[in-house]
Amino acid sequence: MASNVILARMGEVTLKGLNRGKFENQLKVNLRYRLRNFGKLSITQSQSRIWIEAKSEDNPAFAGEEAAQEILTAVTQVFGIVSASLALKFEGDFDVIVKEAIAYVDKLLQEHPEYKTFKVESKRGNKQFPLSSPEICTEVGGNILDNFPQLSVDVHNPDFILNVEIRDYNYLYSGKVMGHRGLPVGTAGKGMLLLSGGIDSPVAGYMMASRGMQIDAVYFHSFPYTSEQAKQKVVDLAKIVSRFSGKMNLYVVNFTKIQLDMVKNSPEDMITITMRRVMLQIAEELAKKSGCKCLITGESLGQVASQTLEAINITNEVATLPVLRPLIGIDKQETCDISRRIGAFETSILPYEDCCTVFVAKHPKTHPSHKDIENAESKLDIKAMVEMGLNEGLEIIEI
Amino acid sequence: MIYFDNSATTRTSDAVAKSIYDNLTNDELFGNPGSLHKLGMTAGNKYNEITADIAKNLGCKNTEIIYTSCGTEGTNTAILGYLSKNQRAGKTIISTNTEHKATLETLGHIAKQGYNVVYLKVDKAGKPDLAALEEELAKGDTAMLCFTHVNNETGSVLPIEDIMKIKNKVSPKTVVFLDCVQSLGKLEINLAKLGVDMASFSGHKIHGVKGVGVLYIKTNVRIDPFIRGGGQQSGLRSGTQSLMLAESFAVALKEAVEARANAFEHVSEINAYLREELTKRGATINSPEDGLPFVLNVAFDGFQSETMLHALESFGVYVSTVSACSSKTKKPSYVLLEMGIDRKIAANSVRLSFSRYNTMDEAKEFIAIVDKVYDMYLVR
Repeated sequence: MASNVILARMGEVTLKGLNRGKFENQLKVNLRYRLRNFGKLSITQSQSRIWIEAKSEDNPAFAGEEAAQEILTAVTQVFGIVSASLALKFEGDFDVIVKEAIAYVDKLLQEHPEYKTFKVESKRGNKQFPLSSPEICTEVGGNILDNFPQLSVDVHNPDFILNVEIRDYNYLYSGKVMGHRGLPVGTAGKGMLLLSGGIDSPVAGYMMASRGMQIDAVYFHSFPYTSEQAKQKVVDLAKIVSRFSGKMNLYVVNFTKIQLDMVKNSPEDMITITMRRVMLQIAEELAKKSGCKCLITGESLGQVASQTLEAINITNEVATLPVLRPLIGIDKQETCDISRRIGAFETSILPYEDCCTVFVAKHPKTHPSHKDIENAESKLDIKAMVEMGLNEGLEIIEI
Repeated sequence: MIYFDNSATTRTSDAVAKSIYDNLTNDELFGNPGSLHKLGMTAGNKYNEITADIAKNLGCKNTEIIYTSCGTEGTNTAILGYLSKNQRAGKTIISTNTEHKATLETLGHIAKQGYNVVYLKVDKAGKPDLAALEEELAKGDTAMLCFTHVNNETGSVLPIEDIMKIKNKVSPKTVVFLDCVQSLGKLEINLAKLGVDMASFSGHKIHGVKGVGVLYIKTNVRIDPFIRGGGQQSGLRSGTQSLMLAESFAVALKEAVEARANAFEHVSEINAYLREELTKRGATINSPEDGLPFVLNVAFDGFQSETMLHALESFGVYVSTVSACSSKTKKPSYVLLEMGIDRKIAANSVRLSFSRYNTMDEAKEFIAIVDKVYDMYLVR
């Protein structure tokens, strides 16, 4: 009987040297976590490939094509996977392979009646098999040509490739879904992401996670200036990032009092910078407590007043941990493209106020100096503000 | 909790809830009013009684009303159904830009089909330009007038008697559709006296339940149905009738009509008190002086609408920014802008809307809470 399996291919992981095993194990752990809601699965590795299938036949996750597609999508969202294919697995001799191949192509052509040319590629892991790889290609290809007169062979640029693999079992598949590449999350420490409700910060989190970093996030909530919907939006964005980055803690800092204090006691045109400095300090304290070794922001050079080089310098000074800014040199359009690709864009552009927009001055200082910030913070008890952020109304949401 | 958002929806009254429970647990009332057997007849008789009761309270005949799912369905059915059935009645429809979205979107839809929709300007009190109305009607091509009896955002009351006089004088054949969703139970409504041709009503705005409305269609006004099928409700809205929903509407309406005069007086006091106290505190009242007391649109200086809404919410006070249907679109109210209210004031506006269940104590507490909000959250 034939069953569905997923064949996932590893990328950069396989280039690792002596510690390759560590990366591979983490990848398998991450796959298992990402697929935790799909019943009992067997996840096995052979060389640079990972095979995923149901442990028993009564696991419904692999039963239907649709459910299997859902697993396939989830697999491609795990960093470290370059691509994945949904394959048909079955036992039998060469006659069975031909029969299954014809049925497979028949189904494929129903979905894609536009296909006119094809090519067969084969791999033979089981060296006991009586035919060699080129022979398998010729024989399977010939049988397909006999059965589907509308098809012809094109080895250079075919409409579809039929892959036949003969190992302990036989496998058939066509096409592959590209993965998000990168390195397995958990192999590069943990970072604290400053998550607002916008387009940039979720993308920044996604990008660092793609290098193997585990992510925790912090959001600064200013009820009633920002609504419960705005907070829900950030929770939703955190969930989207966590599809790629795995388990995450979202720290929601009650920022209202701190912001009001700032508005009363510091000049309007420096509010944004002052605010960002306090945010960074609170984020750093949370980072240290939760084992994060860096901060991550979605800043992009010159995008807004607080993201000029001078402003970044002034903000950066309060942090002792490295502040990673994966979007610093990236064009907004490109960020939007990534945001769309990871499924965050539609949520990011919902119209609720986010924490940065309510208290923004009409003409913020774009080139702040040390003197400016000294003056702006002279009447503020920054230490008390940071303490307040850490202690008063801090909420931790497990994503 | 202080619930000042009764124009969005209202709490179901105890009597309505009881009527629904009784209806659902009565073994003799679950039949399909269309069935030929005894159970069907029992349900059918009860249904007719209920309908007659509603008709009596609205001042019309029981053959002149159909049940809908909501006010919006009534509006759609009236406008689209009339124009579809009466294609030679004229190609112009007159309305205003301050209508509810149910009307505006429907008019936008028919404008695309070649109808000429004329939107009359409104003044600061939200009243349409009647001279322009007369001028437009005199052209002789107007199929329909579409107006709202009471504006949902400001409480502006339409001068419907004046409009009917002008219409009857200049263009008697033009039909009038009136959206009565916000006026029902608050103003006296006698459809025969009003003289309009069609009117829509909603159950959940008068302490009934969501899911039922009523559309009035005057005898001799012909419309095409919006929902076709088994021919129920004179073929104007097919689908098995719900005795439970019809009765819920009847009970809510009866209560509203009985309480109306007292409620009007009581809510007028609350409105006057709030107007005075809020004005003292520098707020701007957007609702016209002669508006319906059940709605008070007010701009709080220094607070964007949404911030004020959430600040009040944190004290258990529920109000609305612009009408709830469009409050996620994040633009100042189009109704206020159309009335010529300054954009800045419109952006700071919230709507308080009352029902007969609100009390003076709540109004006083509301003012105290507004003071607290200013103390705690005013920026600069």
